[in-house]
Amino acid sequence: MKHNLATSRIVLGFQPSSRFTGEIDSMLVVSRPATFLVLLVLSPVLSAADTAPPRFERDIAPLIDRYCLRCHGADKPKGGVDLSQHRDDATIRKHLALWERVGENLRSGDMPPAGARKPTAAEMAVLERWLDAVVFKADCDGPLDPGKPTIRRLNRVEYYNTIRDLMGVDFKPARDFPADDVGHGFDNIGDVLSLPPLLMEKYVAAAEQIVEAAWKLPEFRRRIQPPPFNRGALQGNLQKFASQAWRRPATEEEAQRLLRFVQLAREAGDSPDVGIRLALQAILVSPHFLYRIEQNPTNPEGWITPFELATRLSYFLWSSLPDDELMLLARENKLRQPGILEEQVRRMVQSPKSAALAENFAGQWLNIRSLASFSPDPKRFPTFNAALRRDMIRETEAFFLHVVRENRSVLDFLDADYTFLNARLARHYGISDVQGDELRKVSLKGTPRGGVLTQASVLAVTSNPTRTSPVKRGKWILENLLGTPPPPPAPDAGELPEGVELKGTLRQQMEQHRANPSCATCHQRMDPLGFGLENFDAIGAWRTQENGLAIDATGELPDGSKFNGPAELRKVLLAKKQLFVRCLTDKLLTYAIGRGTERSDRCFIEKIVKQAEKDDYRFTDLIIHLVKSDPFQKRRVERSAKR
Amino acid sequence: MKLISRRTVLRGLGVSVALPLLEAMQPRLSLAAAPATQAPRRLAFLYVPNGIHMADWKPTTTGSHFELPRTLQPLAPYRDQLLVLSNLTADKARPHGDGPGDHARAMAAFLTGAQPRKTAGSNIRVGISADQIAAQKIGKATRFASLEIGCEGGRQAGSCDSGYSCAYSSTLSWRNESSPIAKETNPRLVFERLFSASGTVSDTRSLKNAGYRRSLLDFVTEDANRLRRQLGVTDLRKLDEYLTGVREIEQRLSRVEKEGDFQGVPGGYSAPTALPRTMKEHLRLLADMLVLAFQADLTRVCTFVFANEGSNRPYREINISDGHHDLSHHGRKPDKMAKIQQINQFHIEQLAYLIGRLQSIQEGSGTLLDSCMIAYGSGNSDGNRHNHDDLPILLLGKGGGTIRPGRHILYPRETPLNNLWLSLLDRMGVNIDGFGDSTGRLPGLDG
Repeated sequence: MKHNLATSRIVLGFQPSSRFTGEIDSMLVVSRPATFLVLLVLSPVLSAADTAPPRFERDIAPLIDRYCLRCHGADKPKGGVDLSQHRDDATIRKHLALWERVGENLRSGDMPPAGARKPTAAEMAVLERWLDAVVFKADCDGPLDPGKPTIRRLNRVEYYNTIRDLMGVDFKPARDFPADDVGHGFDNIGDVLSLPPLLMEKYVAAAEQIVEAAWKLPEFRRRIQPPPFNRGALQGNLQKFASQAWRRPATEEEAQRLLRFVQLAREAGDSPDVGIRLALQAILVSPHFLYRIEQNPTNPEGWITPFELATRLSYFLWSSLPDDELMLLARENKLRQPGILEEQVRRMVQSPKSAALAENFAGQWLNIRSLASFSPDPKRFPTFNAALRRDMIRETEAFFLHVVRENRSVLDFLDADYTFLNARLARHYGISDVQGDELRKVSLKGTPRGGVLTQASVLAVTSNPTRTSPVKRGKWILENLLGTPPPPPAPDAGELPEGVELKGTLRQQMEQHRANPSCATCHQRMDPLGFGLENFDAIGAWRTQENGLAIDATGELPDGSKFNGPAELRKVLLAKKQLFVRCLTDKLLTYAIGRGTERSDRCFIEKIVKQAEKDDYRFTDLIIHLVKSDPFQKRRVERSAKR
Repeated sequence: MKLISRRTVLRGLGVSVALPLLEAMQPRLSLAAAPATQAPRRLAFLYVPNGIHMADWKPTTTGSHFELPRTLQPLAPYRDQLLVLSNLTADKARPHGDGPGDHARAMAAFLTGAQPRKTAGSNIRVGISADQIAAQKIGKATRFASLEIGCEGGRQAGSCDSGYSCAYSSTLSWRNESSPIAKETNPRLVFERLFSASGTVSDTRSLKNAGYRRSLLDFVTEDANRLRRQLGVTDLRKLDEYLTGVREIEQRLSRVEKEGDFQGVPGGYSAPTALPRTMKEHLRLLADMLVLAFQADLTRVCTFVFANEGSNRPYREINISDGHHDLSHHGRKPDKMAKIQQINQFHIEQLAYLIGRLQSIQEGSGTLLDSCMIAYGSGNSDGNRHNHDDLPILLLGKGGGTIRPGRHILYPRETPLNNLWLSLLDRMGVNIDGFGDSTGRLPGLDG
């Protein structure tokens, strides 16, 4: 099937609602008319298909002439950007990098700059449609680039888990490794994971400490050291251990090189033990251990090797190295046999090790990790303490894992009638009859809560230390649930006064702020979403009043959808479920392959989303579709790298 | 076997026997090749985020009779060691068509004078930073080529600034255009690293162990070199970071083999134990580490990030519960500007602590501060406007007599900040034609 996809970067509610056609009708399965309307308005792919793209000469060129060429014409173009030479779609397609920037600047409102004449909303709508159809369109026909992640250094969590699973050593100092930088929202991105000399020192020191600790474990020692000293057996053991540590078969030659450490120790007058431990350290400091090496594929399609696939799987779902079963399947080249990958994913998510997916993927996707540094004002929020903070994090992790392990629909993240609470958190939520410190599944029926948005963790990380921030909450929803982030504010945009002098509700203050037209466009998208959550204070407790005035939790989005309070807000978000699933898939893919998603990935993501839709968006199934997709299974073949 | 034949066991281990141990055990206070009579020069860059309330920062008159503005009052005891440098500009922190992201750019451009590539994670790129230029030229003279410390690690989740990778807003030091250098945030770990407590690389305990470690490094170097032949360009960059790290450890081992392990901690300073509970304590402990490293001549180059750019931490210890970044967008509201001023002054108090410590240490006929150049500032001027001209920049210390402090100098508008760095590098014996957006030397530092 020929299918061209428009970008998912669509401004909420931007599509004029007049473009309803029968064609869309036939593509949608909807249950209720109300949902239908909202979906239509919001679905970029569908609405792009609905109207013929604007014609450049007739519709676009006059707008470019009017709004851009005064600065970006042939005569002394500002910033060296001359748009006057590209006069048809074909030429523009040849200069996509430039025009993507033009598109991004137009959409963010950065261009035309402040003070210059700006396109009207109607003109902007035409430009948007053209951008989607020409500039941001991904061509999904023909061979698609599966992309190429840069070799990834183990981040500190992965290092810790890998050592735990490889050697049975709980190496806490890994937590003192320098923080790994975050790119594209995650700390496992190959391009961003650098290795400063400081960290290299720590790896060398860590290897020594880890080997010393493991050597004290009889079981570990038996694995390596043959009972009577025997060169051949030792070499075999080292080869086996290195294969496990390096997540691919170590060669005999490599094992022989390792064995020379024993010789070195002997020449220095030490026992073979010393040499063996040195060899083990070398295995842990080797780039084969510290980096997840992927070779340039030797097949023209770009399939990565079974061992590389097993490694991608295990670090995706476990943040750790493949276990024996995965390695065996890789060795026997069975991973890609029908049914095997599905079976393995299902097995892996059931393993306790998949808690890593909650801590590392969900923790970063939902920004929960930032809760560690959130410190609300103790005078205003005396009930907040370290224990409550920990419970908040545990709730979201337990909830996430439940959705994964029970293979629930990912839409549970938007709306669910259950969560996981202990006594302390239940008290915080005003829910009675939950005892003890253990979290357990609790029904939320009859409460205003449901889904991640009403979990205290999310409500707190999107707040300021002294008050809620409807803007941050709205922005959080746009960024992390809908995948339609707003552009950043103008540098000198005013902020709201804080603290005691604040009169009236926050909402009233913010509405004055929105009267400023240059702020209005974006804030009309963000603020209403946040207003819908105003019944939750900065640490996620329920409230009905603020500064003695009743909370107004109504909101209206630019697309006209209205809501009052969190329950109705959830329904509005559920109606945007395609945006949500696409956003989640994009983030999951980024995390899984350790690189930002690119133009051609839009096609893969769309395919995964379509497949997931058939499975009612069940999470484990979505993961299975993802690990079967090209970006996960393949790697761009680089001719020049062949030697 | 290559690793054995190139550096034989005997060479690695046998030398230990021949070394004059007594001399090797002595602390080396001045190992560098600097003239025996003169103390080595030291250079440190200190960074504060979110700009400054400039009305209380910039002196109204120039020359040596300027009045110390309110925010700089804590430096009054060291007025004669202080240069206030006005009108310096970090042009590359400006958008130049890249749109928002002034925090990320401010930090990334501060020591590099280069425009960071706008990317959330793919192909991060800016330029080598001034401290690393120095480290690479003169770093071999000391055990550590440079020291990178700060109160905050990298951010743990989410996005940092408008499409810029978090590496930009949390990193001051760039080894090369694509390798950010992470900072150590835990004072105890800085101490252990500097002074060879157990568990660190320089804890070789015996020279035999140093020989073993060298063999290990040879082994992994060979691994990395073999890998080189199989990888693409971006992968190679990663591997180069690896090899650089290995080489630095090797160089340190060589020093240990030559000189023996460093034993003495100046002044009998004992290792910090618990994690600091307040920012003041944290900054002062890290300042102590900087002083110790300079005093023992373990390094001569340091970057010290008080807080990451865009940091939104509250300053409860001075009764400010709002986040710093939130406040910096003060919208000209007096109460917010007052709080920003308080945060600025709080930071200056900690700077004054550091300067006081450096001045309290005798070295030769003067003090440790005399040999130092301590640059302090931000890549944003007014946090509300996000402007990158007229940056708040201080320079403290006499640079071994090459600087005449005690003045406020007003440079022509748009003078590149990199011109200052270039002039400081000159004084470190690092003579280069220019780097980043520098256009020449900064005149007037020596009076």
